[in-house]
Amino acid sequence: MSHSPDAAASPAPEPAALPEPAPPAPVRPAPRAWLARCIDPAIFVGLVAGYVAALLSTVRDLGYSRDEGFYFHAARGYGKWFRMLFSDPEQALTRSVLDSYWQENHEHPALMKSLFFASQHLFEKVLFDDRGTAYRFPTMLLAGLAVAVTFAWGRRAFGRAGGVVAALAFACMPRIFYHSHLSCFDLPIAALWLFVAYAYQRSLDTRRFSWALGCAVLYGLALDTKHNAWFLPASLVAHLSVRHVLALRRPWRGWYRLRIPLALVLMPLLGPLVLYAGWPWLWHDTWPRLVEWMRFHFQHVYYNIEFLGHTYFKPPFPRSYAWVMTLATVPAVTLLLAGVGGVAGARRYWAARHREDGPHSDGGPLLWLLCIFVSYGPWLFTSTPIFGGTKHWITAYPFLALFAGQGFVWLRSVLEQRGAALAGRHRAFGTRGRALLGVALAACLLIGPATMTWHSHPWGLSAYTPLVGGAPGAATLGLNRSFWGYTTGAIQETIDEHSGDGARVFVHDTAMDSFKMLQKDGRLRSDLRPWWTVSGSDLAIYHHEQHMSRVEHMIWVDYGTTAPVHVGAFDGVPVVWLYQRPSYQPRREP
Amino acid sequence: MARAEFPALFRGLVGRASAFWRAQWQLLLVLGCAVAGLLEWGLHVHFSRAAPAPEEWVALRPTVQQLLQRGTLIVVAPRWAEPNARLAFGDDWMPLRHVARADDSSFERALEISILGQHAAELEGWQLESELDTGRFLLRRWTNPQPARVLYDFMGQAQPPALSVSVEKGDAREECRFGKAKVSNGDLHGHPTFPSPRYTCSGPDWLFVGRTVIEDQNYQPRSCLWAHPPARGELVLRFDAVPIGATIRGYAGLPYFFERDEQGSPVDLAVWVAGEAVGHYRHVDGEGWKPFEFSTARFAGQLQEVEFRVMTARPWAREFCFQAEVR
Repeated sequence: MSHSPDAAASPAPEPAALPEPAPPAPVRPAPRAWLARCIDPAIFVGLVAGYVAALLSTVRDLGYSRDEGFYFHAARGYGKWFRMLFSDPEQALTRSVLDSYWQENHEHPALMKSLFFASQHLFEKVLFDDRGTAYRFPTMLLAGLAVAVTFAWGRRAFGRAGGVVAALAFACMPRIFYHSHLSCFDLPIAALWLFVAYAYQRSLDTRRFSWALGCAVLYGLALDTKHNAWFLPASLVAHLSVRHVLALRRPWRGWYRLRIPLALVLMPLLGPLVLYAGWPWLWHDTWPRLVEWMRFHFQHVYYNIEFLGHTYFKPPFPRSYAWVMTLATVPAVTLLLAGVGGVAGARRYWAARHREDGPHSDGGPLLWLLCIFVSYGPWLFTSTPIFGGTKHWITAYPFLALFAGQGFVWLRSVLEQRGAALAGRHRAFGTRGRALLGVALAACLLIGPATMTWHSHPWGLSAYTPLVGGAPGAATLGLNRSFWGYTTGAIQETIDEHSGDGARVFVHDTAMDSFKMLQKDGRLRSDLRPWWTVSGSDLAIYHHEQHMSRVEHMIWVDYGTTAPVHVGAFDGVPVVWLYQRPSYQPRREP
Repeated sequence: MARAEFPALFRGLVGRASAFWRAQWQLLLVLGCAVAGLLEWGLHVHFSRAAPAPEEWVALRPTVQQLLQRGTLIVVAPRWAEPNARLAFGDDWMPLRHVARADDSSFERALEISILGQHAAELEGWQLESELDTGRFLLRRWTNPQPARVLYDFMGQAQPPALSVSVEKGDAREECRFGKAKVSNGDLHGHPTFPSPRYTCSGPDWLFVGRTVIEDQNYQPRSCLWAHPPARGELVLRFDAVPIGATIRGYAGLPYFFERDEQGSPVDLAVWVAGEAVGHYRHVDGEGWKPFEFSTARFAGQLQEVEFRVMTARPWAREFCFQAEVR
């Protein structure tokens, strides 16, 4: 067992299968009790505030993605209904009014879009100048909370330092950082999946009704966020089953006595109720609309996505997609740490299992593992769409980060053990030396992910890890360079520079509402006219995807040039470029 | 050392290494993870600076100018960096007919601009003339050992008086008028650009002949003559006074974005010289940009009329496009 100062202050069980215990650290005066109690909440709050601050400081040059445009529009519509609910509730609750407002974008539940509206309504011009930022704030807040909850769980499972490393490992995944900015549902469902799993684990550990109730309510919120939540119970049920099987001892009596946790009883009761309450679209024709919702996602159209130089647009899709893309986009050292943590956790569990007094709760690793498997599970089938890149399985990433935290704790305990041996020979090397070693180790493990993540902005979806040669290597391998048309934000100043008054700008893959939000926020000039087609436009934006090259060819023939006037490149790799019709003479009023 | 001692020495080394690993594997793993973290960081820094930025391509322009001769094909390796080159060198050096070429066989010279140690596979077999390493870029001048001699480029001559276009149904013949027409295009799911000028036939707006660009099976650009077959009859492209050589050679296809669904009828292209059929090409969906070559040796040296006749059984979304040359 390790005896680092932070672990001593933590109530967490120490990793049992770790190397032999180091000698006790020299006794030092205990900090004041209240200060000790404040440390973890302070870290929790600091992580939330720090991550949200990082997101807010970088939000303004991240363009609005295609889907955000649709959700802005839907949120505006829902907002009108909420206003009516307060001014004329009787009218607002009539079926025709309900359906007319909530029909929009009813392929996705309402929670996040309602929060986007609420945030815009409450915070625009109060906290944020930009309307788009106000819309995006709920996701940022959830992202900050997800980082902090990763810390909280890690702290409980293996100590404070490991918790911090887990939280930072999660925060410093480039794709997580990108999605954390967006008023979309991918990061929110990852956060809520984590919250549900954490509440479930706490309900098992504490056997408190409040945690079980919280788990069920959170599950309802997850259902009301995105359809990934349909799969979440599978991980909990699998966890229950595996735990039950692992707890059996010869002669296997009582194998059929499966004690179902209260949280699992409450989830199917309260979860759908929360979904129903939070999604007015379901208040009429509930069952047919639920079926329609499920059918939409189980029979989703296949979009195009490039993978290893080939554009996939229909099944069968490559089974390797999810794994290769994970390797290509999650820092390798985080994956390595997670691997170490997984093995260390398994060894620890195995060692405890063979002791009569071994722990009956593993503190989480088994649940983390199952959440990872369930998150990736759909991509074992070659019929599951892969067009979403990594965002469809990012629900697994907090759990990968937790394993990484566990891996760090194991590595640090080895260092401490060696440090203790060293301390025996050199008086100078004591508690402080071991702490320094731990910090140095954490720095070695986190500097890469942190640098990569910061560097990836505002090109999040174009960022790849060194394992595939970074962005240039990924382009050479033929991995998708970006999607959703959000990189318009990365060349917004250039568009303004090349445009005369009232210029018609072909927006390509940027949704009209996303483009208009850039104008609303003053990031693009308001006199520019977004244009649907290349013909008739003065300037044309081109967002590169392999199958979209045909749009660039249209521009060449229409404009009579193959030369862009600007290329927005990430690490030298062209991602978005701008054409100007050669005959167009931009005129600007002084 | 005696020869017999070597296995013992080897066993000893393995034994010591094995013992060291057993004693120190945990520490080695710690060091390995820390080194992996630092290595990944270092590699990230390296890769993030490895490829030249667009500004560096622009700065390369004077160097490239010194190496270029008229008609030189600029080839970029890797291909994904080509937009940077087009930004830097413009239409004069990278015109549409080069960028959306059918193949490289008729070019005499090429300038390969290579980064990241990449090489353009299409220049395999060409002869290296000179090489200039500027640090970030490797510029290689290549000569084609056997450049194809093009006697007549049908796409380049697709205008009056060389070309006349008509739709023929049995004995009925309806001429298509050449002139300026409204340019149109779709978005991702739309049609390629309908150019101006073009030969406009009566009927739907897609019934015309004009130069456009479609994407091949690798989503690469191919410049070609749009020749959507009519609902009934044949679309006939008639070129007058064509100097005939050994072959008529070309490529044909449909925009791959639609062709890949493999739901359309085959499209037939018949080539006639001096009123005699010399070849027939059938395009089936999914084949992509596909070559054809017909012998015209028996007319070699003559000036003759050449007809391209395009037809299909079911004209739905048959956005047929072809390119041809006399060689």
